Amino acid sequence: MSLKVASRFALREMRGGLGGFRVFLACLALGVAAIAAVGTVRSGIQAGLEKEGAALLGGDAEVEFTYRFAREDELDWLASISEIISKTVDFRSMVVVDRDGITERGLTQIRAVDDAYPLIGRVSLAPDIPISDALSDRGGVMERVLADRLGLVAGDSFNLGEQTFTLRAILDRYPDNASGGFGLGPRTIVKTVDLDGSGLLAEGTLFSTNYRLDLPQDANLDALEAEADTRFRNTGLRWRDSRRGAGGTASFVDRIGAFLILMGLSGLAVGGVGVSAAVRSYLAGKTSVIATFKTLGASRNTIFLTYFLQIGGLTLIGVTLGLIIGGGLPLMLAPVIQSQLPIPADFAFSVAPLAEAALYGVLAALIFTLWPLARAEQIRPATLFRDALGSSNRLPALRYLIITALLVATLLGAAVWFSDTAFLTLWTAGGIAGALLILVFAAFLARITARALGKRARGWPTLRLALNAIGARGGETTSVVLSLGLGLAVLSAVGQIDGNLRASFADELPDVAPSYFFVDIQPDQIDGFRERLATDPNVRKVETAPMLRGIITMINDQPAEEFAKGHWVVHGDRGVTYAATLDDPSELTAGTWWAADYTGPPLISFAAEEASEIGLSLGDTLTINILGRDITATIANFRNVKWENAGIGFVMTMNPSALAGAPHSWISTVYATPESEAGILRDLANKYPNITAIRIRDAIDQVISLVGGIAAATRYAALATLVTGFLVLIGAAAAGERSRTYEAAVLKVLGASRRSILWSFTLRAALLGFAAGVVALAAGILGGWAVTTYVMEGDYRVIWANALLIIGGGVLASLIAGLTFAIRPLAAKPARILRARE
Amino acid sequence: MSNSVLSLSHASLSLDGNAGKVDILHDISLDVAQGETLGLVGPSGSGKSSLLMLMGGLEQVTSGKIHALGQTLSTMNEDQLARFRSEHMGVVFQSFHLIPTMTALENVATPLEIAGVRDAFSRASAELDAVGLGARKDHYPNQMSGGEQQRVALARASAPRPKILLADEPTGNLDAANGAAIMDLLFDLRDKHGATLIMVTHATDLAARCDRIVTLDDGRIA
Repeated sequence: MSLKVASRFALREMRGGLGGFRVFLACLALGVAAIAAVGTVRSGIQAGLEKEGAALLGGDAEVEFTYRFAREDELDWLASISEIISKTVDFRSMVVVDRDGITERGLTQIRAVDDAYPLIGRVSLAPDIPISDALSDRGGVMERVLADRLGLVAGDSFNLGEQTFTLRAILDRYPDNASGGFGLGPRTIVKTVDLDGSGLLAEGTLFSTNYRLDLPQDANLDALEAEADTRFRNTGLRWRDSRRGAGGTASFVDRIGAFLILMGLSGLAVGGVGVSAAVRSYLAGKTSVIATFKTLGASRNTIFLTYFLQIGGLTLIGVTLGLIIGGGLPLMLAPVIQSQLPIPADFAFSVAPLAEAALYGVLAALIFTLWPLARAEQIRPATLFRDALGSSNRLPALRYLIITALLVATLLGAAVWFSDTAFLTLWTAGGIAGALLILVFAAFLARITARALGKRARGWPTLRLALNAIGARGGETTSVVLSLGLGLAVLSAVGQIDGNLRASFADELPDVAPSYFFVDIQPDQIDGFRERLATDPNVRKVETAPMLRGIITMINDQPAEEFAKGHWVVHGDRGVTYAATLDDPSELTAGTWWAADYTGPPLISFAAEEASEIGLSLGDTLTINILGRDITATIANFRNVKWENAGIGFVMTMNPSALAGAPHSWISTVYATPESEAGILRDLANKYPNITAIRIRDAIDQVISLVGGIAAATRYAALATLVTGFLVLIGAAAAGERSRTYEAAVLKVLGASRRSILWSFTLRAALLGFAAGVVALAAGILGGWAVTTYVMEGDYRVIWANALLIIGGGVLASLIAGLTFAIRPLAAKPARILRARE
Repeated sequence: MSNSVLSLSHASLSLDGNAGKVDILHDISLDVAQGETLGLVGPSGSGKSSLLMLMGGLEQVTSGKIHALGQTLSTMNEDQLARFRSEHMGVVFQSFHLIPTMTALENVATPLEIAGVRDAFSRASAELDAVGLGARKDHYPNQMSGGEQQRVALARASAPRPKILLADEPTGNLDAANGAAIMDLLFDLRDKHGATLIMVTHATDLAARCDRIVTLDDGRIA
């Protein structure tokens, strides 16, 4: 009965139109649109990665080895399960170009291939020639960025090690480029057989081999993966297949997508403030109507339902608008987005991301409107012509509090379920909730401070009016600080973290980091290498170490992954070295170093911090697979390893005899004056063409660019929150226009000029924006400090340029919103305004 | 009149309403002498309040002229009118029109501060003592009764010692006892400071306390 009556009342009430709900609809639509858009883009990328899985992998399946080729038994098994095998070798090297007596060098990531390459997909070259033609007769192709840097065009020669190649074409796209992970140099493709005699790919060189398999149509990938694991467990053979062709890229897209959607939720939280304010304002205008309904006998339930149905209808409109915008924009812009992505994407209408966005939108709207709706039913008929709603501070009935708590729990549960990461979701949700609480408290403090200052601003009526307006209960302060603050706080935190990260990489690291990192120095070259540097007065320090790679397979006879619970040290292969003595005995934290001539059972020295994280003790045994051979060693000691200065650091160091006979190369770090760097590189590269030099500053730039990309994506998400916040701000300013008009009218009666009234409004908006900016900055600095100190373990410093931008942005946004809605109050005729209030 | 402080000459007022242009006042000519108390009476909609608003420079005449204290209000812009009110006029409304975000003391001090008075707060404080609200100075409008709010409004209007005091049905929102008290206070203040008082009222007994009564009917002086 109640619902029927309420529906009729609701329809009649909505005859007034939706004019007062523009901000409500905009906030909800924008929040939902942002989430739907991120979800649709993520879904498109996932679909593209799945569809192109085999092409991305370069085959139906692939096995990978580090620093070795497949053994006979492994090759036999691969041949037995596949129809065609294509072998590629991946490693870093230097492209060297001699031109008019000047030698130029560029770091490159080489993919050495066979005739079967690519098994699946197509290599796109400019000019458009087949890859087989491009690679014939010692031909090669490379990415444009490298060719341009070295001034190479098709037909020019370049050297790899001691072998000369001809550049035949520019490499535009190649199929297996999304699974390789982070590479330090642009790609060059040559044939493996052409590298014979180059001096590259010697034993102990740092390289990986990939065997791409063309499997029969009916191949069972699950069964083959299981068989590979059973047959070749702990030999260093890694299996991947087209189901996860994009490898780390797919999980990276998943994670960044989940994070951006959670950031979108912060936009919805800010939008919720606007939604709640719009409903409160609407219901405040309905006080007399509600009181009249009650006078005429309407029950509390009928009143609640009457307005709940109206808000529910508007919510559906807002959510639908958001879904149309958020789901439609990525589809409309699909060609543009696809051209900007380095990975394939297949954009199509997808229900799942839209359903997720709709669910969040509906839940957020319910959470933020239930409270004011519940208060509406508390209006008593006796308060017919009093502002009962505005002055009521009573909590809503218990049932509404419980329902609100349940809705919040449902929202969190949905976010955890959709993002598939409780850790990230709960931390982000905690961060948003914490930031909102801080902002509410800050708004309260701002009000108290403004009131106290207002009492002292005697003789400054415009300032006092501004301060009193900020300090007034039920004014705009909370709305402004909340709506602007959250978006600015996220932007501020991202700016502080990004700035500190850049500073530590770009400013501080080069001061302590080496100039060059040399790899693939062969054992017969290391003495000459050291000799060249020892006599150079510009070289401050040289570190050298033998380098092998190994996978920890067992710890105390237990599978390492199980024992270490997935710690990064046991995940994949790690560098291993050997040493007879320890250069700095003070680095030893426990145990003793072996004698320089020790030849007994293998002993190992382990990095102290990582050992403590894994739970290792002195005397524990580790089984390490090095180049397919298992070596079991006992932990003899722990030592401190400094990772932060980019010098040579190994988690594991063994006694020399333990690794005797294992083929290996040497690595070296060289600390030299910047002006001598070029000469050192020239001398060493000319003498040892197989050696690869990595300029640390180039590597740092690449890391900075990667971090910059993630920071930019986060900034865009934060900007969506800020735009929503600005909408809320506009809503708050629009809602405050009536009271500003009234104030202006009274002040004009008392003799105030329009200029002084405008000045007062300006001060009010600027001070509110400043307060929101300061609070956001404080929250951002707190977040930045916590992440820099505890996650990055670095020294935090405030990034002032970002800080000033945040405060300036707050002031500007508040001024735009506030002053836009100051025009009518200033122009209004006082007589009409005041008479209307009589 | 040689000692006229306020003079209206053929003043008319038309306003744009939803249904088109509405003529509110027609050809009003009126002189108010210095120190005089003038009651404006008439039925609802006769234009009493509109006439008072014209006198206060809160509305601009559509035609005709208004002179006050030797200056022509009808040719002043909005800010010049505001300055004129600040220096010479006090206005009291039926609905008090206190600024809700300010305490009683701050409300009373505001016109003094706008006028640049140095001891605005001590004068405002004395003014509130004079209207019997010495104990309510730090209260906000919503913490006071209607009668108290109107006393604050009276104090605010009289604090700058205006030469002309305009009152628009100052007791219209008050009960009989409070209304009588406010009227006593209004006339006391007027007597004490010698201002010219022009008051709109429905109540004939209140109008009877004025030196002269002008009756309006349908926007004309009857």
